[in-house]
Amino acid sequence: MSSFLNTPSLGYRVEGLLAKPGSGLVALLVLFIIAMTFVAPSFLSFGNWENIANQAVFVLLLALGMTIVLIARGIDLSVGSVMGLSAGVAAFLINQGLIFPLALLAGIGCGLICGLLNALMITKLGLPDFVATLAMLGVARGVLFLWTEGTPFTRYMTPEYRLVGGQVKLGGIITIPIIVAVVLCILVSLMLRKSLIGRHLYAVGGSPDAARLSGISVSAVKTFAYVVSGGCAGLAGVILAGRATNVAPTLGTGYEILAITAAIIGGAALTGGQGRMVGAILGALTITLIANAMNIAGVTSEWQQVVTGIILLLAILLDRITAYFKKRQTSAEIEQSPQQEPTPATAPRRAIS
Amino acid sequence: METTPTRNENGTSGSTRRNILGAGALMGTLGLLTACTTPPGGSTAGGGSGGGGGGGAEGSAEFTDAVKKLVNGRTLQVGFTPPVLSEYYTQMENAAFTRMAQLEDLYGVQWKWEKSSPTGNFNAVEQQISTVQTWTSRKFDIVFICTGANFATMQGVYKNAMDAGTSIFQFNQPVELYPIDQINTVSNIGYDNRWQSGYVAGKFIADTLKGKGKIVQIMGPSGSDWTKARLIGFNQAMAENPGIEVVGTADGGYLRDKGLSAAQDLLTRHRDINAIYGENEDMALGASQAVDAAGLKQWDGSEGIVIVGADGLLSGMEAIRNGKLTASVDVNSVDNAIRMIDTAFQSVVLKNYVPKISNITTHLVTKDNVDAHAAYINGIMDPAKKY
Amino acid sequence: MSIFQRSSRVLAIDGAAVSIVFLIMCAYFAIASPYFLSPDNIHNTFVESVSAVLLAAGLTFVLISGGIDLSIGSNIGLSAAMTLFASMNGAPTVLALLAGVATGLIFGLVNGAFIAGLGVSDFIVTLATLSVGAGVLQVFSASTQLTGTADSSFLALARGEVAGIPTGVLIAVVILFVLEIALIKTPFGRTIYAVGINPNAAYLAAVSVRRTKFLVFVISGIVAGIGGVLLASHLNSVQPGLGGGYELTAIAGCVVGGVALAGGRGSIWRAALGAFFLSVLSRGLQLIGVDPLWFSIVTGAAIVAAVAFDRGAQKWLQSTLRPVSPVAAAATQNAQ
Repeated sequence: MSSFLNTPSLGYRVEGLLAKPGSGLVALLVLFIIAMTFVAPSFLSFGNWENIANQAVFVLLLALGMTIVLIARGIDLSVGSVMGLSAGVAAFLINQGLIFPLALLAGIGCGLICGLLNALMITKLGLPDFVATLAMLGVARGVLFLWTEGTPFTRYMTPEYRLVGGQVKLGGIITIPIIVAVVLCILVSLMLRKSLIGRHLYAVGGSPDAARLSGISVSAVKTFAYVVSGGCAGLAGVILAGRATNVAPTLGTGYEILAITAAIIGGAALTGGQGRMVGAILGALTITLIANAMNIAGVTSEWQQVVTGIILLLAILLDRITAYFKKRQTSAEIEQSPQQEPTPATAPRRAIS
Repeated sequence: METTPTRNENGTSGSTRRNILGAGALMGTLGLLTACTTPPGGSTAGGGSGGGGGGGAEGSAEFTDAVKKLVNGRTLQVGFTPPVLSEYYTQMENAAFTRMAQLEDLYGVQWKWEKSSPTGNFNAVEQQISTVQTWTSRKFDIVFICTGANFATMQGVYKNAMDAGTSIFQFNQPVELYPIDQINTVSNIGYDNRWQSGYVAGKFIADTLKGKGKIVQIMGPSGSDWTKARLIGFNQAMAENPGIEVVGTADGGYLRDKGLSAAQDLLTRHRDINAIYGENEDMALGASQAVDAAGLKQWDGSEGIVIVGADGLLSGMEAIRNGKLTASVDVNSVDNAIRMIDTAFQSVVLKNYVPKISNITTHLVTKDNVDAHAAYINGIMDPAKKY
Repeated sequence: MSIFQRSSRVLAIDGAAVSIVFLIMCAYFAIASPYFLSPDNIHNTFVESVSAVLLAAGLTFVLISGGIDLSIGSNIGLSAAMTLFASMNGAPTVLALLAGVATGLIFGLVNGAFIAGLGVSDFIVTLATLSVGAGVLQVFSASTQLTGTADSSFLALARGEVAGIPTGVLIAVVILFVLEIALIKTPFGRTIYAVGINPNAAYLAAVSVRRTKFLVFVISGIVAGIGGVLLASHLNSVQPGLGGGYELTAIAGCVVGGVALAGGRGSIWRAALGAFFLSVLSRGLQLIGVDPLWFSIVTGAAIVAAVAFDRGAQKWLQSTLRPVSPVAAAATQNAQ
């Protein structure tokens, strides 16, 4: 966020570097993994990485949608609740005898509708993003509570659902949630970097007024962002229902903060205009890895909170240090380009695509 | 809660009621009203109700009429506030309705029931404090509360409520951790989490493993009094069985998906464990999935990983039946609710002196006895009247 | 037109639209429940909302500057723990109070140092301090039972009464007043708005953006610390999870009151009104006996209604205050 820096020009420069998902974060993760191998060699085992990947899928899916919303200078607090509600829709419809693929689609559709409602509240009623999605957080959770009457939906698990939920590996090799996540990552990456709507997202987030003046429909772009975020939450929800094997009314509680954290660790900012797909992956992995490592290391849950906070601060510090060195190395180069607006064009080519 | 009178005096509800009283007598838990109300004739009151007001031993009709006179058609305004909305409290609520309908039938006492519980992002402490305060302002007769709020925090709230004429009863609260002389409630209905839950689970694991093995624990969010109390009992069982070693603990947040992730992480480091203790059934069921996913074998009566939970939910019992959970400590939602209603009725209406701490039985549910315990709960899930 | 002019003049008052919704809500609760206006309930409503209102007021400084402070939730919990711990161990009231405020100050200093000093994302920094604070409170209360002090002067901080008004409420009102003056009437206050509206322009106008950023987090931390002291005095106990989720309620209160998350807009009294609004809404719904299953839905809908009304009123104002054709004015009027 440039606003934190004392000189605007410096702000733009550092912002450009910061927009790259932290090399500091990667460095920290490597250090962290090395340290963990001493604590428990099994940390490096293939099985554990499989676990981490399967656990990270949910935060990753939400973080992808969240990144898009954050780029467009919005925030979506409703994703945790929407995820729970979508899971409820899928589970309920299966219990009602609807064929499996349709039930899943209905769950995802529920997410899309919630996203659309968010967008309508924001663009038509003029509500602040925070208020509209906070209200949706309450309403979606409330609907799930009302609907389940406080008792979880059960007995909807079928062999297909076990496959979708990642409990059984497809062909014994890889789970469906991971495949879904990879496909979605590629799509989001392409969308952000190559498509018109991607450029519009950055433009709207960078400066809504400028975007409006250049003929971009800000409300259409915002609507797109929230619908995608809702869809991601719906998708995460129907998969989570397959993993959790019951839909408790509390399913998905607190995921919104994890998703926002993952997106922001990965370089998105609340002030809009920044964020990339790779960042969401790194952020989701970091969060999941920390939790996994602390469980393996046997850190008690009281201390887990303290350690998580400290690791977050360390990650930021490392990011600053690497940014500082990079700035010294490349300052001349940066000086030549007048503005470092993080647009898709500046996204490094090493992004998964 | 709307008071929709879904009262249909048909065969189903009648049989449900008989079923319940029969089951209650079987389990030896429903005798409270009879045991404490009035010594003479009391033991026949239950029998009288079993026949739906007809039949029964001599004296029961007289007793019923006398109590009816004391009740005088009084309406009790009741508030019920559990710490969360969950399957456990739904079972409790249904059991309470079942018992309330019986007492209404027998003695003509009317009930007005309201439920409030923290949902979503609102902090439990503040909301439950204000719930009790608003109910006190509204001159409720009875408040049933179970709260995650600090013991000391609540006592002032309870005192104000009791001074204003609202009787406070705690249920399912780990009062064994609190100094009894400082508890400002009429009565506390529940069980001793140390010896009737945590210890039971620990001892079952130790016995099943014949005193030797490694276990991991999936616990609720740290700091809760239930967790503390259950751990005391569990650790006592561990101390009595030095051959059992706790090799890992993780936080499963009382949720199934988090319990699954936590169990997966623990299994990464400790593949050679013999048992998993989940502090509630949802987390234990998550652990059960993790065991399956890791390609490990669950307990089959002679070998495999023993998985134990605690709650006593119908969904948990189904899992036990299907071999997905070795055992669970059923902390008896049904009797908790029935005892709660009886105690309040006696204290508030009949002005009897009720015990400060009133513990119900808990059960260890395994595949061998799951049918009986599930049937006991099923007997109250369709109350004659919902309030 | 004269009615329009008169009502637009009323609505043009800062926060009038939210106040109107608030009054309508209160009127509804008063009609629906005879207990809403009972002295008991009014007393409790004010006393219980003190901590939420204070948190929102402190947070307003950060929000107006364009930042966000998530750490206030664990700040208030940990400050309450420290102040109560001090009092339980025989510290005089003043020292106990200082212990709480100092805890809040430390939160503010750490946040400010990271955010203003290093220029990193305030969301992540305050999320990290939120997490650390909550963890420290857990660890601390696992070893220490914070079940109350016998020091009556400490308890009187929130529980005493002056002319029938609880001291906690009086203290909160005084603090709100001081904060409002600091924000509206001082040059420092104006720099906060300037930074929130456009940091680059503020910098060019010789405002020290960094210093302003630092100070708003310190203020937010200290006010949360004071909130913790009053909360400890009011509850006379601290539990491990105290303060969990307070940050979201405080942010929601600010936004309902009309403080912009994007920065540059808002005032203390609007934030306080918003936080109080949510507090009253929650109590009112319980008083009229709304099913808890409906609770979060009704709360969400009420927040949307309140803010939408506020926005609608502003739009209408803009259109009526500008010289427009009667047709357009009527159309806008109809749209309301």
